[in-house]
Amino acid sequence: MEAIKNALDFSDFPRLDLIVVGLIAVFLLVFPVFPHSSFAMATMIQFLMFSIYGMGWNTIGGYGGQVDLGKAQYVGIGAFTTAVMLIRWDIPFWFSMPIGIFFAVCWSFIIGYPLFRLKGHYFAIATIATSLVLKDIFEVWDLVGAARGLEISPIKYSPPDFLRLIFIEDIYYYYVILGFFFVGILYVNWFRKSRLGFQLRSIKDNEDMARSLGINVHLAKVKTYAIATAFVSVVGSFHACYIKNIEPADTMSLDISILIALMAMLGGAGSLWGPVIGAGILIPLKSYLKDWLGAQAGLVGIDLIIYAGIIMLVSAVEPRGIWGIVEKVRRRKRS
Amino acid sequence: MAFLEVYNLTKSFGGLMANDDISFTMEKGELIGLIGPNGAGKTTLFNCISGLHPVTSGRIIFDGEDITSLKAYEVARLGLARTFQVYVASGDLTVEENVMVGCFMRTRSPSQARARAYEILKDLNLHDLSDSMVSELTVAAQKRVTMATALGSDPKLLLLDEVAAGLNPNEIEEIMDTIRHVHEDLGATVMLIEHVMELVMKVSHRVIVLDSGEKIAEGDPENIANNPQVIKAYLGERYVRERGGEI
Repeated sequence: MEAIKNALDFSDFPRLDLIVVGLIAVFLLVFPVFPHSSFAMATMIQFLMFSIYGMGWNTIGGYGGQVDLGKAQYVGIGAFTTAVMLIRWDIPFWFSMPIGIFFAVCWSFIIGYPLFRLKGHYFAIATIATSLVLKDIFEVWDLVGAARGLEISPIKYSPPDFLRLIFIEDIYYYYVILGFFFVGILYVNWFRKSRLGFQLRSIKDNEDMARSLGINVHLAKVKTYAIATAFVSVVGSFHACYIKNIEPADTMSLDISILIALMAMLGGAGSLWGPVIGAGILIPLKSYLKDWLGAQAGLVGIDLIIYAGIIMLVSAVEPRGIWGIVEKVRRRKRS
Repeated sequence: MAFLEVYNLTKSFGGLMANDDISFTMEKGELIGLIGPNGAGKTTLFNCISGLHPVTSGRIIFDGEDITSLKAYEVARLGLARTFQVYVASGDLTVEENVMVGCFMRTRSPSQARARAYEILKDLNLHDLSDSMVSELTVAAQKRVTMATALGSDPKLLLLDEVAAGLNPNEIEEIMDTIRHVHEDLGATVMLIEHVMELVMKVSHRVIVLDSGEKIAEGDPENIANNPQVIKAYLGERYVRERGGEI
Protein backbone atom coordinates (compact mmCIF):
# COMPACT_ATOMS: atom_id res chain seq x y z
CA MET A 1 0.00 0.00 0.00
CA GLU A 2 2.68 2.42 1.08
CA ALA A 3 4.58 1.52 -2.09
CA ILE A 4 1.68 2.57 -4.31
CA LYS A 5 1.21 5.75 -2.34
CA ASN A 6 4.89 6.57 -2.71
CA ALA A 7 4.87 5.83 -6.44
CA LEU A 8 2.03 8.31 -6.92
CA ASP A 9 3.45 10.92 -4.57
CA PHE A 10 5.41 13.67 -6.32
CA SER A 11 4.90 16.20 -3.54
CA ASP A 12 8.61 16.67 -2.86
CA PHE A 13 8.96 18.56 -6.15
CA PRO A 14 8.22 22.29 -6.23
CA ARG A 15 4.93 23.32 -7.71
CA LEU A 16 6.53 24.78 -10.84
CA ASP A 17 7.96 21.36 -11.70
CA LEU A 18 4.63 19.68 -11.26
CA ILE A 19 2.95 22.17 -13.57
CA VAL A 20 5.63 21.63 -16.23
CA VAL A 21 5.41 17.86 -15.81
CA GLY A 22 1.63 17.99 -16.03
CA LEU A 23 1.76 20.05 -19.23
CA ILE A 24 4.27 17.65 -20.79
CA ALA A 25 2.12 14.66 -19.80
CA VAL A 26 -0.93 16.26 -21.41
CA PHE A 27 1.09 17.09 -24.52
CA LEU A 28 2.29 13.48 -24.78
CA LEU A 29 -1.27 12.21 -24.44
CA VAL A 30 -2.74 14.44 -27.13
CA PHE A 31 0.25 14.71 -29.49
CA PRO A 32 -1.01 12.15 -32.05
CA VAL A 33 -4.34 13.95 -32.35
CA PHE A 34 -2.68 16.97 -33.94
CA PRO A 35 -1.44 16.81 -37.50
CA HIS A 36 2.12 15.53 -37.55
CA SER A 37 4.58 14.04 -40.00
CA SER A 38 5.44 10.36 -39.77
CA PHE A 39 9.00 11.50 -39.13
CA ALA A 40 7.90 13.44 -36.05
CA MET A 41 5.89 10.43 -34.87
CA ALA A 42 8.86 8.11 -35.27
CA THR A 43 11.03 10.57 -33.36
CA MET A 44 8.49 10.75 -30.53
CA ILE A 45 8.39 6.95 -30.26
CA GLN A 46 12.18 6.86 -30.18
CA PHE A 47 12.13 9.54 -27.51
CA LEU A 48 9.78 7.50 -25.31
CA MET A 49 11.77 4.29 -25.86
CA PHE A 50 15.05 5.90 -24.98
CA SER A 51 13.50 7.64 -21.97
CA ILE A 52 12.59 4.23 -20.58
CA TYR A 53 16.03 2.81 -21.39
CA GLY A 54 17.44 5.81 -19.58
CA MET A 55 15.16 5.34 -16.56
CA GLY A 56 16.42 1.77 -16.28
CA TRP A 57 20.04 2.85 -16.65
CA ASN A 58 19.44 5.55 -14.05
CA THR A 59 18.57 3.10 -11.27
CA ILE A 60 21.99 1.46 -11.25
CA GLY A 61 24.02 4.09 -13.09
CA GLY A 62 22.48 7.23 -11.64
CA TYR A 63 21.30 6.44 -8.13
CA GLY A 64 23.95 3.76 -7.67
CA GLY A 65 26.79 5.47 -9.53
CA GLN A 66 27.78 2.27 -11.37
CA VAL A 67 28.37 3.45 -14.93
CA ASP A 68 27.07 0.75 -17.19
CA LEU A 69 27.92 0.87 -20.90
CA GLY A 70 26.44 -2.49 -21.86
CA LYS A 71 22.70 -2.00 -21.88
CA ALA A 72 22.43 -3.00 -25.55
CA GLN A 73 22.86 -6.67 -24.65
CA TYR A 74 19.55 -6.53 -22.78
CA VAL A 75 17.84 -4.69 -25.61
CA GLY A 76 18.94 -7.66 -27.73
CA ILE A 77 17.73 -10.29 -25.28
CA GLY A 78 14.28 -8.68 -25.06
CA ALA A 79 14.01 -8.06 -28.79
CA PHE A 80 15.17 -11.48 -29.92
CA THR A 81 13.12 -13.36 -27.31
CA THR A 82 9.96 -11.67 -28.55
CA ALA A 83 10.85 -12.01 -32.23
CA VAL A 84 11.89 -15.68 -32.02
CA MET A 85 8.82 -16.64 -30.01
CA LEU A 86 6.47 -14.80 -32.32
CA ILE A 87 7.98 -16.06 -35.57
CA ARG A 88 8.63 -19.66 -34.56
CA TRP A 89 5.78 -20.42 -32.18
CA ASP A 90 3.35 -17.55 -32.67
CA ILE A 91 3.61 -16.56 -29.02
CA PRO A 92 2.18 -13.06 -28.56
CA PHE A 93 4.06 -10.06 -27.21
CA TRP A 94 2.33 -9.96 -23.82
CA PHE A 95 3.63 -13.47 -23.09
CA SER A 96 7.05 -13.22 -24.67
CA MET A 97 7.78 -9.87 -23.03
CA PRO A 98 7.79 -11.27 -19.45
CA ILE A 99 9.80 -14.26 -20.67
CA GLY A 100 12.26 -11.82 -22.21
CA ILE A 101 12.51 -10.07 -18.85
CA PHE A 102 13.16 -13.43 -17.22
CA PHE A 103 16.00 -14.28 -19.63
CA ALA A 104 17.45 -10.80 -19.37
CA VAL A 105 17.36 -10.82 -15.58
CA CYS A 106 18.97 -14.29 -15.47
CA TRP A 107 21.70 -13.05 -17.79
CA SER A 108 22.10 -9.93 -15.64
CA PHE A 109 22.80 -12.14 -12.61
CA ILE A 110 25.39 -14.13 -14.55
CA ILE A 111 27.03 -10.90 -15.70
CA GLY A 112 26.40 -8.81 -12.62
CA TYR A 113 27.59 -11.24 -10.00
CA PRO A 114 31.24 -11.29 -11.08
CA LEU A 115 31.29 -7.83 -12.68
CA PHE A 116 30.29 -5.99 -9.53
CA ARG A 117 33.55 -7.13 -8.01
CA LEU A 118 34.98 -4.43 -10.27
CA LYS A 119 34.69 -0.73 -9.66
CA GLY A 120 34.51 2.50 -11.61
CA HIS A 121 35.99 2.48 -15.09
CA TYR A 122 36.83 -1.22 -14.88
CA PHE A 123 33.19 -2.03 -14.35
CA ALA A 124 32.20 0.20 -17.28
CA ILE A 125 34.74 -1.44 -19.60
CA ALA A 126 33.67 -4.92 -18.56
CA THR A 127 30.02 -4.15 -19.34
CA ILE A 128 31.03 -3.02 -22.83
CA ALA A 129 32.91 -6.26 -23.33
CA THR A 130 30.10 -8.57 -22.23
CA SER A 131 27.64 -6.70 -24.42
CA LEU A 132 29.85 -7.02 -27.48
CA VAL A 133 30.50 -10.70 -26.80
CA LEU A 134 26.78 -11.41 -26.57
CA LYS A 135 26.26 -9.55 -29.83
CA ASP A 136 28.91 -11.72 -31.49
CA ILE A 137 27.25 -14.85 -30.14
CA PHE A 138 23.88 -13.75 -31.53
CA GLU A 139 25.50 -13.07 -34.90
CA VAL A 140 26.44 -16.73 -35.31
CA TRP A 141 23.44 -18.26 -33.57
CA ASP A 142 20.94 -19.71 -36.04
CA LEU A 143 18.00 -19.76 -33.63
CA VAL A 144 18.01 -15.97 -33.51
CA GLY A 145 18.64 -15.67 -37.22
CA ALA A 146 22.41 -15.21 -36.97
CA ALA A 147 23.84 -12.10 -38.61
CA ARG A 148 20.84 -11.61 -40.89
CA GLY A 149 18.59 -11.28 -37.88
CA LEU A 150 14.85 -11.80 -37.88
CA GLU A 151 11.99 -10.24 -39.72
CA ILE A 152 8.43 -10.09 -38.49
CA SER A 153 6.21 -9.73 -41.51
CA PRO A 154 2.94 -7.98 -40.71
CA ILE A 155 1.14 -9.60 -43.66
CA LYS A 156 0.86 -12.86 -41.74
CA TYR A 157 -1.21 -11.20 -39.08
CA SER A 158 -4.25 -9.02 -39.24
CA PRO A 159 -3.24 -5.65 -37.86
CA PRO A 160 -4.15 -4.02 -35.62
CA ASP A 161 -3.23 -7.06 -33.55
CA PHE A 162 -3.13 -5.90 -29.94
CA LEU A 163 -2.05 -9.27 -28.57
CA ARG A 164 1.00 -9.60 -30.83
CA LEU A 165 1.56 -5.86 -31.01
CA ILE A 166 1.48 -5.79 -34.80
CA PHE A 167 0.23 -2.51 -36.18
CA ILE A 168 0.49 -0.65 -39.44
CA GLU A 169 -0.11 2.82 -38.02
CA ASP A 170 2.47 4.16 -35.61
CA ILE A 171 -0.16 5.75 -33.39
CA TYR A 172 -0.86 2.39 -31.74
CA TYR A 173 2.79 1.87 -30.98
CA TYR A 174 2.91 5.39 -29.64
CA TYR A 175 0.23 4.77 -27.02
CA VAL A 176 1.66 1.40 -26.00
CA ILE A 177 5.10 2.84 -25.35
CA LEU A 178 3.55 5.90 -23.70
CA GLY A 179 1.83 3.52 -21.26
CA PHE A 180 5.16 1.88 -20.47
CA PHE A 181 6.68 5.34 -20.10
CA PHE A 182 4.19 6.38 -17.40
CA VAL A 183 4.60 3.07 -15.58
CA GLY A 184 8.37 3.56 -15.71
CA ILE A 185 8.12 7.05 -14.19
CA LEU A 186 5.93 5.77 -11.36
CA TYR A 187 8.27 2.86 -10.74
CA VAL A 188 11.36 5.06 -10.51
CA ASN A 189 9.44 7.50 -8.33
CA TRP A 190 8.81 4.61 -5.95
CA PHE A 191 12.34 3.27 -6.29
CA ARG A 192 14.11 6.50 -5.38
CA LYS A 193 12.21 6.63 -2.08
CA SER A 194 12.46 2.91 -1.29
CA ARG A 195 14.95 1.21 0.96
CA LEU A 196 16.84 -0.15 -2.03
CA GLY A 197 16.97 3.33 -3.54
CA PHE A 198 18.45 4.78 -0.38
CA GLN A 199 20.92 1.91 -0.13
CA LEU A 200 22.08 2.58 -3.67
CA ARG A 201 22.56 6.27 -3.01
CA SER A 202 24.49 5.46 0.13
CA ILE A 203 26.70 3.07 -1.86
CA LYS A 204 27.38 5.81 -4.39
CA ASP A 205 28.27 8.11 -1.51
CA ASN A 206 30.69 5.82 0.28
CA GLU A 207 30.80 2.03 0.07
CA ASP A 208 32.52 1.40 3.39
CA MET A 209 30.02 3.61 5.11
CA ALA A 210 27.19 1.74 3.40
CA ARG A 211 28.63 -1.57 4.58
CA SER A 212 28.86 -0.40 8.15
CA LEU A 213 25.20 0.59 7.97
CA GLY A 214 24.22 -3.00 7.33
CA ILE A 215 23.99 -2.80 3.55
CA ASN A 216 25.04 -5.83 1.55
CA VAL A 217 26.67 -3.69 -1.13
CA HIS A 218 27.23 -6.44 -3.68
CA LEU A 219 23.70 -7.80 -3.40
CA ALA A 220 22.14 -4.33 -3.61
CA LYS A 221 24.06 -3.66 -6.83
CA VAL A 222 23.16 -7.01 -8.38
CA LYS A 223 19.48 -6.53 -7.49
CA THR A 224 19.34 -3.03 -8.93
CA TYR A 225 21.19 -4.13 -12.04
CA ALA A 226 18.42 -6.69 -12.55
CA ILE A 227 15.79 -3.95 -12.22
CA ALA A 228 17.61 -1.81 -14.77
CA THR A 229 17.78 -4.83 -17.04
CA ALA A 230 14.04 -5.46 -16.83
CA PHE A 231 13.32 -1.90 -18.01
CA VAL A 232 15.62 -2.31 -20.99
CA SER A 233 14.34 -5.74 -21.90
CA VAL A 234 10.69 -4.60 -22.01
CA VAL A 235 11.54 -1.87 -24.47
CA GLY A 236 13.70 -4.33 -26.40
CA SER A 237 10.64 -6.58 -26.83
CA PHE A 238 8.64 -3.58 -27.96
CA HIS A 239 11.43 -2.63 -30.35
CA ALA A 240 11.16 -6.01 -32.10
CA CYS A 241 7.44 -5.57 -32.80
CA TYR A 242 7.84 -1.92 -33.73
CA ILE A 243 10.87 -2.10 -36.01
CA LYS A 244 9.96 -5.62 -37.23
CA ASN A 245 13.38 -6.17 -38.75
CA ILE A 246 16.04 -6.72 -36.16
CA GLU A 247 19.63 -7.76 -36.50
CA PRO A 248 22.27 -8.00 -33.77
CA ALA A 249 24.60 -5.51 -35.43
CA ASP A 250 22.00 -2.73 -35.04
CA THR A 251 19.94 -3.73 -32.05
CA MET A 252 22.91 -4.59 -29.87
CA SER A 253 25.44 -2.09 -31.09
CA LEU A 254 27.75 -0.20 -28.77
CA ASP A 255 26.16 3.05 -30.00
CA ILE A 256 22.90 2.11 -28.30
CA SER A 257 24.62 1.39 -24.99
CA ILE A 258 26.51 4.65 -25.09
CA LEU A 259 23.48 6.66 -26.14
CA ILE A 260 21.45 5.26 -23.22
CA ALA A 261 24.12 6.18 -20.68
CA LEU A 262 24.80 9.51 -22.32
CA MET A 263 21.18 10.63 -22.26
CA ALA A 264 20.78 9.86 -18.61
CA MET A 265 24.04 11.63 -17.78
CA LEU A 266 23.21 14.67 -19.88
CA GLY A 267 19.76 15.04 -18.36
CA GLY A 268 20.95 14.30 -14.85
CA ALA A 269 22.04 10.96 -13.47
CA GLY A 270 20.39 10.10 -10.19
CA SER A 271 17.33 12.26 -10.71
CA LEU A 272 13.81 11.27 -11.68
CA TRP A 273 13.50 13.57 -14.68
CA GLY A 274 17.11 13.37 -15.89
CA PRO A 275 16.73 10.53 -18.41
CA VAL A 276 13.58 12.09 -19.87
CA ILE A 277 15.28 15.47 -20.27
CA GLY A 278 18.33 13.79 -21.82
CA ALA A 279 16.24 11.78 -24.27
CA GLY A 280 14.17 14.87 -25.06
CA ILE A 281 17.33 16.66 -26.19
CA LEU A 282 19.38 13.92 -27.76
CA ILE A 283 16.79 11.92 -29.67
CA PRO A 284 15.47 14.81 -31.79
CA LEU A 285 19.07 15.96 -32.23
CA LYS A 286 20.06 12.50 -33.40
CA SER A 287 17.10 12.13 -35.76
CA TYR A 288 17.58 15.52 -37.36
CA LEU A 289 21.33 15.19 -37.57
CA LYS A 290 20.90 11.92 -39.40
CA ASP A 291 18.27 13.37 -41.65
CA TRP A 292 20.23 16.50 -42.33
CA LEU A 293 23.73 15.11 -42.58
CA GLY A 294 22.84 11.67 -43.89
CA ALA A 295 22.65 13.02 -47.39
CA GLN A 296 26.06 14.65 -47.19
CA ALA A 297 28.72 12.11 -47.96
CA GLY A 298 31.60 12.01 -45.55
CA LEU A 299 29.70 13.41 -42.60
CA VAL A 300 28.05 10.17 -41.54
CA GLY A 301 29.85 9.69 -38.23
CA ILE A 302 29.54 13.27 -37.09
CA ASP A 303 26.79 12.53 -34.57
CA LEU A 304 29.27 10.40 -32.62
CA ILE A 305 31.68 13.33 -32.47
CA ILE A 306 28.91 15.54 -31.17
CA TYR A 307 28.01 12.99 -28.46
CA ALA A 308 31.64 12.77 -27.40
CA GLY A 309 31.72 16.55 -27.13
CA ILE A 310 28.59 16.53 -24.98
CA ILE A 311 30.08 13.89 -22.64
CA MET A 312 33.16 16.01 -22.13
CA LEU A 313 31.13 19.16 -21.59
CA VAL A 314 28.81 17.54 -19.06
CA SER A 315 31.57 15.95 -17.03
CA ALA A 316 33.57 19.17 -16.96
CA VAL A 317 30.77 21.63 -16.21
CA GLU A 318 28.28 19.75 -14.05
CA PRO A 319 28.63 16.00 -13.53
CA ARG A 320 25.02 15.80 -12.43
CA GLY A 321 23.79 17.04 -15.78
CA ILE A 322 21.09 19.52 -16.66
CA TRP A 323 19.00 18.62 -13.65
CA GLY A 324 22.08 19.16 -11.49
CA ILE A 325 22.33 22.71 -12.83
CA VAL A 326 18.63 23.33 -12.12
CA GLU A 327 19.04 22.13 -8.53
CA LYS A 328 22.19 24.16 -8.02
CA VAL A 329 20.47 27.35 -9.14
CA ARG A 330 17.54 26.63 -6.85
CA ARG A 331 19.78 26.01 -3.86
CA ARG A 332 21.58 29.25 -4.46
CA LYS A 333 18.30 31.13 -4.66
CA ARG A 334 17.05 29.65 -1.43
CA SER A 335 20.12 30.47 0.62
CA MET B 1 30.64 -13.20 29.52
CA ALA B 2 31.66 -9.74 28.46
CA PHE B 3 29.79 -7.70 25.87
CA LEU B 4 32.72 -7.40 23.50
CA GLU B 5 35.69 -9.75 23.74
CA VAL B 6 38.77 -9.42 21.60
CA TYR B 7 41.37 -12.17 21.83
CA ASN B 8 44.88 -11.96 20.38
CA LEU B 9 43.75 -9.88 17.47
CA THR B 10 46.47 -9.54 14.85
CA LYS B 11 46.26 -7.71 11.57
CA SER B 12 49.17 -7.41 9.22
CA PHE B 13 49.35 -5.61 5.90
CA GLY B 14 52.14 -7.43 4.12
CA GLY B 15 55.01 -7.13 6.55
CA LEU B 16 53.50 -4.31 8.59
CA MET B 17 51.90 -5.36 11.87
CA ALA B 18 49.05 -2.88 12.23
CA ASN B 19 47.56 -4.73 15.19
CA ASP B 20 49.78 -7.10 17.13
CA ASP B 21 48.18 -9.56 19.53
CA ILE B 22 45.63 -7.20 21.05
CA SER B 23 43.25 -8.52 23.70
CA PHE B 24 40.65 -6.71 25.76
CA THR B 25 37.09 -7.04 26.92
CA MET B 26 34.33 -4.55 27.29
CA GLU B 27 31.24 -4.66 29.49
CA LYS B 28 27.78 -3.56 28.49
CA GLY B 29 27.24 0.11 29.24
CA GLU B 30 30.93 0.93 29.37
CA LEU B 31 32.58 3.86 27.65
CA ILE B 32 36.12 3.11 26.58
CA GLY B 33 38.62 5.53 25.10
CA LEU B 34 41.19 4.26 22.65
CA ILE B 35 44.26 6.46 22.37
CA GLY B 36 47.71 6.30 20.86
CA PRO B 37 49.97 8.15 18.45
CA ASN B 38 49.21 8.35 14.74
CA GLY B 39 49.78 5.02 13.05
CA ALA B 40 49.32 3.08 16.29
CA GLY B 41 46.60 0.95 14.68
CA LYS B 42 43.51 2.44 16.32
CA THR B 43 41.44 2.79 13.18
CA THR B 44 42.68 -0.59 11.95
CA LEU B 45 41.37 -2.09 15.19
CA PHE B 46 37.98 -0.48 14.51
CA ASN B 47 38.04 -1.77 10.96
CA CYS B 48 38.78 -5.29 12.18
CA ILE B 49 36.06 -5.25 14.81
CA SER B 50 33.47 -3.82 12.46
CA GLY B 51 34.35 -6.37 9.79
CA LEU B 52 35.71 -4.05 7.10
CA HIS B 53 39.11 -5.73 7.32
CA PRO B 54 39.50 -9.47 7.61
CA VAL B 55 41.70 -10.21 10.61
CA THR B 56 44.98 -12.08 10.19
CA SER B 57 44.45 -14.04 13.38
CA GLY B 58 42.56 -13.81 16.65
CA ARG B 59 38.93 -13.87 17.69
CA ILE B 60 36.26 -11.25 18.22
CA ILE B 61 33.10 -12.05 20.15
CA PHE B 62 30.27 -9.55 20.25
CA ASP B 63 27.28 -10.08 22.51
CA GLY B 64 27.94 -13.81 22.68
CA GLU B 65 28.41 -14.26 18.96
CA ASP B 66 31.67 -14.95 17.16
CA ILE B 67 31.92 -12.15 14.58
CA THR B 68 35.54 -12.74 13.56
CA SER B 69 34.77 -13.84 10.03
CA LEU B 70 31.50 -12.00 9.46
CA LYS B 71 31.18 -9.35 6.76
CA ALA B 72 30.82 -5.71 7.74
CA TYR B 73 27.12 -5.56 6.89
CA GLU B 74 26.44 -8.68 8.95
CA VAL B 75 28.29 -7.24 11.94
CA ALA B 76 26.33 -4.01 11.55
CA ARG B 77 23.04 -5.88 11.55
CA LEU B 78 23.97 -7.48 14.88
CA GLY B 79 23.98 -3.99 16.37
CA LEU B 80 27.50 -2.71 16.00
CA ALA B 81 27.67 0.71 14.41
CA ARG B 82 30.61 2.96 13.71
CA THR B 83 31.52 6.36 12.38
CA PHE B 84 34.39 7.21 10.08
CA GLN B 85 37.27 9.54 10.75
CA VAL B 86 37.18 11.16 7.36
CA TYR B 87 33.74 11.68 5.99
CA VAL B 88 33.79 11.51 2.22
CA ALA B 89 30.44 12.32 0.72
CA SER B 90 29.66 12.78 -2.94
CA GLY B 91 27.07 15.24 -1.71
CA ASP B 92 24.01 13.52 -3.10
CA LEU B 93 22.25 13.03 0.20
CA THR B 94 20.71 15.53 2.58
CA VAL B 95 21.21 15.21 6.32
CA GLU B 96 17.81 13.63 6.80
CA GLU B 97 18.36 11.17 3.94
CA ASN B 98 21.72 10.24 5.38
CA VAL B 99 20.20 9.37 8.74
CA MET B 100 17.41 7.51 6.96
CA VAL B 101 19.97 5.18 5.38
CA GLY B 102 20.89 4.14 8.92
CA CYS B 103 17.25 3.74 9.89
CA PHE B 104 16.56 1.55 6.86
CA MET B 105 18.63 -1.16 8.52
CA ARG B 106 15.75 -1.78 10.91
CA THR B 107 12.76 -1.10 8.66
CA ARG B 108 11.67 -1.45 5.07
CA SER B 109 9.12 1.31 5.24
CA PRO B 110 10.26 4.75 4.03
CA SER B 111 7.75 6.55 6.24
CA GLN B 112 8.98 4.72 9.34
CA ALA B 113 12.59 5.43 8.42
CA ARG B 114 11.75 9.10 7.94
CA ALA B 115 9.92 9.30 11.25
CA ARG B 116 12.81 7.66 13.09
CA ALA B 117 15.34 9.93 11.38
CA TYR B 118 13.31 12.93 12.45
CA GLU B 119 13.31 11.70 16.05
CA ILE B 120 17.06 11.22 16.08
CA LEU B 121 17.79 14.57 14.44
CA LYS B 122 15.52 16.32 16.90
CA ASP B 123 17.12 14.49 19.77
CA LEU B 124 20.60 15.58 18.67
CA ASN B 125 19.43 19.11 17.91
CA LEU B 126 20.17 18.69 14.23
CA HIS B 127 16.66 19.01 12.85
CA ASP B 128 17.30 22.54 11.56
CA LEU B 129 19.82 21.06 9.17
CA SER B 130 17.55 18.27 7.87
CA ASP B 131 17.41 19.57 4.32
CA SER B 132 21.05 20.67 4.00
CA MET B 133 23.50 18.66 1.97
CA VAL B 134 26.00 16.97 4.24
CA SER B 135 28.86 18.29 2.15
CA GLU B 136 27.75 21.88 2.83
CA LEU B 137 27.99 21.58 6.61
CA THR B 138 30.77 22.56 8.98
CA VAL B 139 33.08 19.78 10.12
CA ALA B 140 31.47 19.83 13.54
CA ALA B 141 27.98 19.39 12.15
CA GLN B 142 29.18 16.66 9.77
CA LYS B 143 30.62 14.72 12.68
CA ARG B 144 27.33 14.93 14.53
CA VAL B 145 25.47 13.83 11.41
CA THR B 146 27.67 10.75 11.14
CA MET B 147 26.79 9.96 14.76
CA ALA B 148 23.10 10.47 14.01
CA THR B 149 23.40 8.16 11.00
CA ALA B 150 25.03 5.47 13.10
CA LEU B 151 22.32 5.89 15.73
CA GLY B 152 19.70 5.33 13.04
CA SER B 153 20.53 1.64 13.08
CA ASP B 154 19.77 1.42 16.84
CA PRO B 155 23.22 0.12 17.73
CA LYS B 156 24.09 -1.71 20.92
CA LEU B 157 27.75 -0.83 20.52
CA LEU B 158 28.94 2.37 18.90
CA LEU B 159 32.50 2.85 17.69
CA LEU B 160 33.34 6.53 17.23
CA ASP B 161 36.44 7.31 15.21
CA GLU B 162 37.76 10.78 16.07
CA VAL B 163 34.49 12.63 16.29
CA ALA B 164 36.20 15.62 17.92
CA ALA B 165 39.13 16.01 15.55
CA GLY B 166 39.35 19.44 13.96
CA LEU B 167 36.75 21.03 16.23
CA ASN B 168 37.10 24.20 18.30
CA PRO B 169 36.67 24.11 22.11
CA ASN B 170 32.98 25.04 22.00
CA GLU B 171 32.27 22.39 19.43
CA ILE B 172 34.20 19.84 21.48
CA GLU B 173 32.03 20.73 24.46
CA GLU B 174 28.97 20.15 22.26
CA ILE B 175 30.09 16.82 20.91
CA MET B 176 31.04 15.72 24.41
CA ASP B 177 27.47 16.39 25.49
CA THR B 178 26.22 14.43 22.51
CA ILE B 179 28.45 11.47 23.39
CA ARG B 180 27.29 11.56 27.00
CA HIS B 181 23.68 11.77 25.87
CA VAL B 182 24.07 8.80 23.55
CA HIS B 183 25.81 6.79 26.22
CA GLU B 184 23.76 7.67 29.27
CA ASP B 185 20.30 8.44 27.95
CA LEU B 186 20.19 6.18 24.92
CA GLY B 187 22.06 3.39 26.65
CA ALA B 188 24.64 2.62 23.97
CA THR B 189 27.96 1.08 24.85
CA VAL B 190 30.61 3.34 23.33
CA MET B 191 34.21 3.00 22.30
CA LEU B 192 35.93 6.08 20.97
CA ILE B 193 39.18 6.89 19.29
CA GLU B 194 40.26 10.37 20.18
CA HIS B 195 43.25 12.66 20.24
CA VAL B 196 41.52 15.36 22.23
CA MET B 197 42.69 14.38 25.69
CA GLU B 198 40.35 16.51 27.77
CA LEU B 199 37.47 14.73 26.06
CA VAL B 200 38.81 11.19 26.44
CA MET B 201 39.89 11.64 30.03
CA LYS B 202 36.60 13.27 31.02
CA VAL B 203 34.13 10.85 29.52
CA SER B 204 35.89 7.47 29.49
CA HIS B 205 35.47 4.85 32.18
CA ARG B 206 38.52 3.10 30.94
CA VAL B 207 41.29 3.91 28.47
CA ILE B 208 43.23 1.55 26.22
CA VAL B 209 46.51 2.74 24.75
CA LEU B 210 48.00 1.45 21.52
CA ASP B 211 51.48 2.08 20.22
CA SER B 212 52.95 0.61 17.03
CA GLY B 213 50.13 -1.88 16.86
CA GLU B 214 50.51 -3.16 20.41
CA LYS B 215 48.43 -2.55 23.46
CA ILE B 216 50.81 -0.89 25.90
CA ALA B 217 48.43 0.03 28.68
CA GLU B 218 44.87 -0.23 29.91
CA GLY B 219 43.20 1.29 32.95
CA ASP B 220 41.12 4.11 34.31
CA PRO B 221 41.90 7.59 32.98
CA GLU B 222 43.79 8.68 36.09
CA ASN B 223 46.12 5.70 35.96
CA ILE B 224 46.72 6.08 32.25
CA ALA B 225 47.58 9.76 32.61
CA ASN B 226 50.30 8.83 35.09
CA ASN B 227 51.60 5.76 33.33
CA PRO B 228 55.24 6.51 32.37
CA GLN B 229 55.10 4.26 29.31
CA VAL B 230 52.03 6.08 27.97
CA ILE B 231 53.60 9.46 28.69
CA LYS B 232 56.68 8.47 26.79
CA ALA B 233 54.82 6.98 23.82
CA TYR B 234 52.01 9.41 23.45
CA LEU B 235 50.90 11.97 25.99
CA GLY B 236 54.24 13.72 26.16
CA GLU B 237 55.75 15.45 29.11
CA ARG B 238 54.06 18.75 28.42
CA TYR B 239 50.61 17.25 28.90
CA VAL B 240 51.61 15.96 32.31
CA ARG B 241 53.16 19.27 33.30
CA GLU B 242 50.05 21.16 32.25
CA ARG B 243 47.96 18.92 34.41
CA GLY B 244 50.29 19.83 37.27
CA GLY B 245 51.71 16.33 37.60
CA GLU B 246 55.20 15.18 38.36
CA ILE B 247 57.34 13.55 35.74
